[in-house]
Amino acid sequence: MNYLDCSIKEILENLTSKKITSEELVKLCFDRIESTDTLNALNSTYKEQALIQAKEIDKKRQSGEKMGALAGVPLVLKDNINLKNTKTTCSSKFLGNYVSPYTATCAQKLVDAGAIVIAKANMDEFAMGSSTETSAFGVCKNPIDPTRVPGGSSGGSACTVAAKQCFGSLGTDTGGSIREPASFCGVVGLKPTYGRVSRYGVVAFASSLDQVGPITRTVEDSAILLNILAGEDQNDMTASKESIPDYTADLNKGVNGIKIGVPKQFFTNELSVEVRDALLGAIENYKKLGAECVEIDLPNVDKALAVYYIVSSAEAASNLARFDGIKYGKRANNYDDLVDLYYQSRTQGFGKEVKRRIMLGNYVLSSGYFDAFYRKAKRVQEIIKREFLEAFEKCDVLVSPTTATTAFKLGEKTKDPVSMYLSDIFTVPVNIAGVPAISIPCGVDSQGMPIGMQLIGRHFDEKMLFRVANAFEASTKEAK
Amino acid sequence: MAIEKQEVEKLAKLSRLKFTDEELHTFIKEFESILEQVKAIDSVDTSNVDLKECGDRVNFDSLQEDIERQGLSQTDILMNAPSAKDGAFLVPITVEEGK
Repeated sequence: MNYLDCSIKEILENLTSKKITSEELVKLCFDRIESTDTLNALNSTYKEQALIQAKEIDKKRQSGEKMGALAGVPLVLKDNINLKNTKTTCSSKFLGNYVSPYTATCAQKLVDAGAIVIAKANMDEFAMGSSTETSAFGVCKNPIDPTRVPGGSSGGSACTVAAKQCFGSLGTDTGGSIREPASFCGVVGLKPTYGRVSRYGVVAFASSLDQVGPITRTVEDSAILLNILAGEDQNDMTASKESIPDYTADLNKGVNGIKIGVPKQFFTNELSVEVRDALLGAIENYKKLGAECVEIDLPNVDKALAVYYIVSSAEAASNLARFDGIKYGKRANNYDDLVDLYYQSRTQGFGKEVKRRIMLGNYVLSSGYFDAFYRKAKRVQEIIKREFLEAFEKCDVLVSPTTATTAFKLGEKTKDPVSMYLSDIFTVPVNIAGVPAISIPCGVDSQGMPIGMQLIGRHFDEKMLFRVANAFEASTKEAK
Repeated sequence: MAIEKQEVEKLAKLSRLKFTDEELHTFIKEFESILEQVKAIDSVDTSNVDLKECGDRVNFDSLQEDIERQGLSQTDILMNAPSAKDGAFLVPITVEEGK
């Protein structure tokens, strides 16, 4: 058997029953990383350190010690998540040599559970993008068709899981950055409820929208990782104290009697025929499994993208003001005085998309425009949030495509920012409302590229998402 | 929505970013088309929304205890500094003698 094909659940069984050691597993992962190197999924790898950790875990297991929930499982972090003494670059020249002096809470929780972090994944610069093409360290490619993008911004995180270089990864999602790449690469991506997972130690893009989540090959693995990641944190006031259920508990309960809402605004003309057909097929499948499907109206959901670009850019402009070339990161070699040092360092350190968002953010925040743009956007955000809350009075989950098309060609959208922004049209409303959503594979198009289905849940009801997602995944496995 | 070059130059100054004339030109065009999209929110009636009532879901009732905790060490803080000396970040002279 090829151990790299296993899910986290399966590989844990193989490790526990000593069919394979963690050291062997880490070596297998690195063999795969080397043979699929041209995908450019990873910014840095930690082979030596990973092997040391794996040997320690194997020794512990051999002596019968109690093991953590992820003991010996190789995982990857997105390169905007701090892990002490590793580089955290955000795929930006500005942070090209930045070494983390501390560890993010989400990474610490994985490490405490015994996971082995083997690498950090490529991404769009500062998580701004939908294709991983804004990375300062080269584009990441789609493992299914390397002439196409893996999606973004967590493109490397999705690619490395789909290419079986590791068993799971963490991404971050501000407007779709976990779900869109998961959809493009044919894997499972979860954006938890805003506040479900601590953001401490994760480089901020838009603090009121950012959320950390897992990318995995199965729905069950996603639930296993959320069990570990969820929870409050004294270092992040927005991390919720809401109780944490066992997210794996309802996985096999099926969808009999569950109400699935189909928002009519998500089945628009922008949708490619193949994606639409796959989704309609999935909805039919749910009906066969006993779910009831109801049409839902979200009248203002089409304004979410506009709200997103105002709010996220405003927050990005503020968050990225800290990159001044003084305390860490890039400092230009030549400058006239202190202010010129700021200008030169920022101009040389940031890429084009990041500069565009900073400028847009400062525009909507500047006097004369603040009310018309920022304050208005916050009001519209509230209206969209209310529409979601109303929808969840009529159904348990909402279903939509994750993206309007499958993975596009490298370079296809880089010249036109607006067309790139439209890639996030179905994922952005979820961040605007703060609710959780999961993207799972639901078929392939005529080119063999994966199609993703998005399931959206009530605030803090990830358990229902896993249940409904797993019912679909199980039914497609049976069909095979 | 037309954007004046002067306006973008002002934004660049606020953002502490420099652009070449060519970059500014492309930028203005892209900016205009982004703002065109963003205008979509104008049509939404928001008269029944009071922003004071809809803060983000931060629980301000559970503020932290005010207890001393170990933070990062001076070495940790300075390890990424582009330029440091005697435990401090080095910056260009900001106040000159006799000025």
